[in-house]
Amino acid sequence: MRISEHPILDLKRSSPVKFTFDGTEISAFDNETIAVALHAAGIRTLSHSVNKHRPRGLYCAIGNCSSCVMIVDGEANVKTCITLVQDGMVVESQKGKGNLQ
Amino acid sequence: MRKTADIVIIGGGISGVTIGYFLLKHGAKNVVLLERDYLTAGATGRCGAGIRQQWGAPLNCRMSQFSCEFFENAQDELDYAHGIEFHQGGYLMLATTENELEQTRKNVALQNSLGIASKMLSPEETKEIVPLLDTKKILAAAYHHKDGHLNPFHTTQAFANAFKRLGGEIYINTNVTGITTTQGKISGVDTEHGHIATTIVVNAAGGYSQAVAALAGVDLPLHSERHNILVTEPVEPMLSAMLMSFSLNFYCQQVPHGSFIMGRTCPDQPNDLRITADSSFLEAMAKTITDVLPSLKNLRILRQWAGLYNMSPDKHPIYDQIPQLPGFYLAAGFSGHGFMMAPATGLSMAELILGLEPTLPWKQLGFNRFQSGELLLESSVV
Repeated sequence: MRISEHPILDLKRSSPVKFTFDGTEISAFDNETIAVALHAAGIRTLSHSVNKHRPRGLYCAIGNCSSCVMIVDGEANVKTCITLVQDGMVVESQKGKGNLQ
Repeated sequence: MRKTADIVIIGGGISGVTIGYFLLKHGAKNVVLLERDYLTAGATGRCGAGIRQQWGAPLNCRMSQFSCEFFENAQDELDYAHGIEFHQGGYLMLATTENELEQTRKNVALQNSLGIASKMLSPEETKEIVPLLDTKKILAAAYHHKDGHLNPFHTTQAFANAFKRLGGEIYINTNVTGITTTQGKISGVDTEHGHIATTIVVNAAGGYSQAVAALAGVDLPLHSERHNILVTEPVEPMLSAMLMSFSLNFYCQQVPHGSFIMGRTCPDQPNDLRITADSSFLEAMAKTITDVLPSLKNLRILRQWAGLYNMSPDKHPIYDQIPQLPGFYLAAGFSGHGFMMAPATGLSMAELILGLEPTLPWKQLGFNRFQSGELLLESSVV
């Protein structure tokens, strides 16, 4: 699900990139955030709450709420809603509060 | 609000609630505790919450030994469902200069002579305990496995609940506006909600103890220092021991929830009881901690705050009756370690006020030492 035409903005698609999410290859454009690319790919569960392990989806989308934190290229607690995708990136869903490298 | 009490305690921090608890436990009746804001609003709720028995003066060793043993058994004694989160993950005191190393060795020898099983560790042994540690600046460390940290909010609440179960009364949001005297003796306390007649007042107001004493016209040899502290986002447990270094000027611990809490002493702090946050602390603290624990470099800081150390001339507390005003007792001047000493404070003040035999050497902590010049020097305060 991506907007392809906009009445005001001129949407120029940048070059496509690929990254993996929990081992599955996902296609994206390189000016998208990880969370947006995952959303476009139909992925709705981004993390689980720490105490009761309930699913958490895209919520604030501006880097405040920590609902979308994941392990990106080995680094825990990355806010995927404000982190741009890069070709070859390895994104993994995070269990628990995260470990420091 | 009640009109009379046998004893009125001013200050709803850890010292006030422990004093109240031990007073009732030892037979006092009609004890009232007054708190200006809410329990733990002052230094207790703002502190680093470390618990250690590693001191450079015998008296602090004794007081902290008693307190640590109390905390170990607090669950049974205070019967507090949540638990006080006493995490005995050990406490490391890092030495980075020759002078500090020598002092640390002396302190460990003193502690060992008093039955505290602290020991010296090489940098390699230190790294085994804290794998995150960058040991390049570290010559050695002192370590005691039974030290650690504790949750100040739950600990205060546990004492407050036990105090109330024994019949004590706590009034929060109750500012003390005056202390009244009759013929040179305490006669009561004025609060914003009314007057309480009493012959005994205990000043346990921490950073504000000078201001409380001034209400009775008493000038205390104490001053308050602002100290900053911060907390990070939580991560999985990775630092079991509490860390501290005088030369590197920091302390740091990871609370059970996963957040790191850390502080350091900053220069040029105001001395007017302000506890606003200091932005220069953030930068200095971040530099200090990432030097020692480099893997914290991407950890986000959630917030910072400040609280008051109530400093005495020799960095030991004062437990005494004000000589010129019978009935006015003081438990203050903790110089940054009132939280960890609180059970000793509670017991000592109860024994002092009720005229009981001393369990601990609190008689050394009176005002006399300032007149006689027999100060109790302590090397180990950050």
